[in-house]
Amino acid sequence: MWPFVAALTLSITLAACGGGGGGAGSAGDPGLSDRAALGKKIFFDPSLSASGRMACSTCHDPAFAHAQNNALPVQSGGAGLDVPGFRAVPSLNYLEKNPSFFFDSEGTPTGGFNRDGRAQTLADQAQRPFLAAHEMANGTPDVVVQKLAAAAYADDFRRVFGSAIFADIDTAFLRARQALEAYEREDPAFHPYDSKYDAFLAGRATLTAQEIRGLALYQDPTKGNCSGCHPSARGSDGTPNSPPLFTDFTYDNLGLPRNMAIPANADPAYLDMGLCGPERTDLAGRRDLCGAFKVPTLRNVATRKVFFHNGAFSSLKDALTFYVQRDTNPEKWYPMGSSGALEKFNDLPPDLAGNVNTTEVPYNRKEGEPPALTDAEIDDVVAFLQTLTDGYTP
Amino acid sequence: MIAAKGFLMHARHPLAVALLALGLALPRAALADEAALQKRIDALEAQLRALQDQLTAIRADAKSAQASAANAQATAEKAVAAAPQAAASGTAAVAAGNAAPPASMAPYAFPQIGPNTVLSSYGEIQYNVPQNSNDALADVGRFVIGIAHSFTDRTRMAAEFEVEHAVTSADDSGEAEVEQAYVEHDFTDHASGKAGLFLIPVGLLNEHHEPTVYYGVYRNHVETAIIPTTWREIGVGGTWHDDTGWTVNAGLTTGFNLSKWDPNSDEGRESPLGSIHQEGQLAAAKNLSGYAGFNWRGVPGLEAGATVFYGGAGQGVDFAGKDAKVTLYEGHVRWTPGPWDLAALYAHGAISDIGDLNATFAGAPTPVPATFDGWYTQAAYKFTFGGGQQLGPFIRYEQYNTARSYVGLPVGFDVPTGPNNKATTLGLNYWLTPGVVFKLDYQWLRPDDTQSRFALGIGYAF
Repeated sequence: MWPFVAALTLSITLAACGGGGGGAGSAGDPGLSDRAALGKKIFFDPSLSASGRMACSTCHDPAFAHAQNNALPVQSGGAGLDVPGFRAVPSLNYLEKNPSFFFDSEGTPTGGFNRDGRAQTLADQAQRPFLAAHEMANGTPDVVVQKLAAAAYADDFRRVFGSAIFADIDTAFLRARQALEAYEREDPAFHPYDSKYDAFLAGRATLTAQEIRGLALYQDPTKGNCSGCHPSARGSDGTPNSPPLFTDFTYDNLGLPRNMAIPANADPAYLDMGLCGPERTDLAGRRDLCGAFKVPTLRNVATRKVFFHNGAFSSLKDALTFYVQRDTNPEKWYPMGSSGALEKFNDLPPDLAGNVNTTEVPYNRKEGEPPALTDAEIDDVVAFLQTLTDGYTP
Repeated sequence: MIAAKGFLMHARHPLAVALLALGLALPRAALADEAALQKRIDALEAQLRALQDQLTAIRADAKSAQASAANAQATAEKAVAAAPQAAASGTAAVAAGNAAPPASMAPYAFPQIGPNTVLSSYGEIQYNVPQNSNDALADVGRFVIGIAHSFTDRTRMAAEFEVEHAVTSADDSGEAEVEQAYVEHDFTDHASGKAGLFLIPVGLLNEHHEPTVYYGVYRNHVETAIIPTTWREIGVGGTWHDDTGWTVNAGLTTGFNLSKWDPNSDEGRESPLGSIHQEGQLAAAKNLSGYAGFNWRGVPGLEAGATVFYGGAGQGVDFAGKDAKVTLYEGHVRWTPGPWDLAALYAHGAISDIGDLNATFAGAPTPVPATFDGWYTQAAYKFTFGGGQQLGPFIRYEQYNTARSYVGLPVGFDVPTGPNNKATTLGLNYWLTPGVVFKLDYQWLRPDDTQSRFALGIGYAF
């Protein structure tokens, strides 16, 4: 999902883009096909937005694993960069092996793009940000295509897709998104696999004692059990010897606290319930899936400024502490209702609270029981998660 | 009814038809005049001599046919010698020059499907009831079909195709696999070589694992969990034997692939090598392995041997276990004095240079064991009855540990070694014929008594 906004990062983006979009990408980009090189130019081009100040890279900052570079729960877009979005910006890194959405043989929803999996491909995913009012806000494809035809790289676009490409609005819009997909797939910057942990798996680096402890807690099915949904072993995606992706591409309902910093949440009737809507519409009838959001990769998680789909937490330690203390100390996370009762799982309708995952470690405990991880152990896991940041040099 | 049927069958023979005709004709002759009768008798005599000549010719043909059949049998035996080792059983062992194959490995009659080609097969169906009877299972454990062909009297091929657990598909648990596919050539009467996918000559069970050969409904634990029977590799191997009972095996093959290890699965704890074997399926072959072993059968009824297997398991994969090596060695003895069948085996495995890899598995339930081992001893007694029937009560005691020791685990995150499993099996094999066996046994397992079970089985092999 691309909630393309963030005025706070504008100056950084403009510096990266080189203005009108010629910038970072070039036809001679080593290792990139012509289509991907064109996609790179589109990715960094703010002229494709209604504001003229927002590019893909505005919210998907390469310096932050192609995710947001600020601590706002949602970004704002539109012509005036003042229309707030609905969800935190996910990273675009490590999506090259993300499958399209499907239900596996056991009925488990799996794959798809966006936090609710409704886009089937990276090119599909790129459609909404160009059009949505809270993002680049072009409204319709023909506006996007007009801007592409006026861009500095318009001749490149014609050279790659044919001289008459701009005469066919739908095809030109599709080709622009396919160029973006090619860029995301081909440029190693989106999937470098060069973290300290990768070096460790290859036997070329050693982890500190604290990092090792954190890894052990992360993988221990009786402690953190993080690898249950965020696999950390080689080949865990089914491809022999492939580096771990730290996601199993499934969905989970964590029962996150409602984040009142999201403007849309001022309306009590507004409930973002992931798979069952309201943004995704095809599974609206599957009430059992309400509240489930896609399990993201944890690669580069330490570079994030906000966590979870609603940006409910702004530090990694808080996010981990929520995991292990959600049920043992719910008063730390949920508000008291007017009746004096704790409003646990308050971002879901009460009748759907049963959808929340309360069976798996570490959130299978009851109020008053000790959490699965102590405070020191959480620090250890945080230390381990920091080894997942790309760009490690021994 | 049977007699009539037999007579009619014989009546199809030309001579029998003639005699029948003669018998029917005589009464009519009595009604004729004497001259005519004599004439008719002369004619019949001539006819009889012709028939006698014909009979002589038929006998000669039959003799010739017998000779051809003998030749065919000889050819078949050559092909049998090439039959997949597991199915060919004792016959193959004899063909390979082994002085005294185990008594239980009786030769079978192999159906011939061509002048130099034979078919073989074995299968086993099992039923077991563990302590929790709700977990009772019935399963077509294995169905195997094999083919062997002699190109010349010195060169042959053999292949086996196996289906495990009846149904194989993306949604089922079964497996379909080529278990063996190799070409073998006799360089001399005492030395042969093979190339292709073949069974590693290790232990008592790996090469001879058909249900009619081993005692118990299921194969023993040691030669399943420690030696990953049925263990095969792609490579080349040679066998030499002399006339005093010595057989020596050696070969160079593919090996194990440690990068397949899953620290979150129980597979590695069930069988460390079984979880990382490659079975000739797009086998990573950067690191080859070697094996060497011997068997001595210099005393009738006795077989004693040992084998060692060694090789790299990193297979060129860029991971923390890239320098790992696998070593497996075993020693075995089997003695069959008269009706007794006594056996014992010890096997020890080790995976070295795994400290860095196990560090990456910190906290996971199944790190790579540094060592694993097991042994068993078995005693059986065979009662022999008419028609090839045999009854074989047996008892077997096993100890095995698939995780005897670990290295490289972070301080404070040790994973318990073991357990030191113990299995006592008491049972009965009943051979209806040497190729068909019915089995029952009860197995006591410790320390996990919940897996103790009663089992029934049926197996065949030809």
